Amino acid sequence: MKSARNILLSLLAAVAGAVTPALPAAAATIEMDVNGLVCAFCAQGIEKKLRAFPATADVVVSLEKRLVALSTIDGADIGDEELRKALTDAGYTVKAIRRESESLDDVRRRLGVQR
Amino acid sequence: MLKRPAGVVAGVLLAFAPGCEAKPIAFANGTTVMAEYGAGTMEEVQAFHAPYYWLSLGGGWLRTDSDIDGGTRDIRYLRANYLVHRWNLDDAQANVFVWGGFGSATGKRFRGDVLDRNAGFQVDYETRRLYFALMSDLHESNRYSQRIDSLQLGFAPYAHDYRDLATWFVVQARDYSGGLHRGIEWTALVRLFKGGAWVEAGVTAEGKPQLMAMFNF
Repeated sequence: MKSARNILLSLLAAVAGAVTPALPAAAATIEMDVNGLVCAFCAQGIEKKLRAFPATADVVVSLEKRLVALSTIDGADIGDEELRKALTDAGYTVKAIRRESESLDDVRRRLGVQR
Repeated sequence: MLKRPAGVVAGVLLAFAPGCEAKPIAFANGTTVMAEYGAGTMEEVQAFHAPYYWLSLGGGWLRTDSDIDGGTRDIRYLRANYLVHRWNLDDAQANVFVWGGFGSATGKRFRGDVLDRNAGFQVDYETRRLYFALMSDLHESNRYSQRIDSLQLGFAPYAHDYRDLATWFVVQARDYSGGLHRGIEWTALVRLFKGGAWVEAGVTAEGKPQLMAMFNF
């Protein structure tokens, strides 16, 4: 009886999996360590610069961690050199660029940054 | 002598019309509008647009009222601000700015419009808790020469983040030359900013108010 129920549940799960549309792939999160990031105006300028990329979905700036993070729209990417140039053109020094699997909302929660 | 066209251009710029002790260039592709009331001795309105993080262009209006002889000067000017050097440190930023421009001035002690020449510099150092700025702003013509030198030391009681309200306590020493004011003017200020908005209010040792508002967008 128990095995019949397990088979039934397995079949239901298989059918549900077949009809449920695939979730979109998680957007990439790019983190940058930035020097000179000390005030809200710095953050404002950097955010404005990064949001100008068509591929940018959202941007998070933490003055405390001297960190700028952004997510890109699905299937899009922004190269390290483009990012480095954008922040240099905004007047700041990029120390490191990393690509993380963590979502931007998780980064925001980790940093304690308001939306 | 600068005639009406320059005055009109300055007026048009003022219609869109930044910052005295604030940085003369806020950020690349940003516009800054600032108004300051300086204890009855000076009032200034500025508007600048920065095509690059190292350059902003715009104009302003400066009125000075002498505490000594009651003379006033109204100066409308066009100015370019240039970032000579920036040091981006781990937890701090330091800058050296210079500026220069021309304008048109009228005053109680002389007739008509005169050509005003403007030059100045600012050196600043800032962390999330400490702020230091030294600024000098010279205006001169064939009828006057005046300079406003300001030194500001600021302390933040807490380290703010981007979306937080930032609070600073600032002490300012200001020296006016050119017959505007005798002695150093000391002012205690509270500065608040959040996002692109900045307001500052304080009182001088003589009990006069100083106010400033600035918006970056």
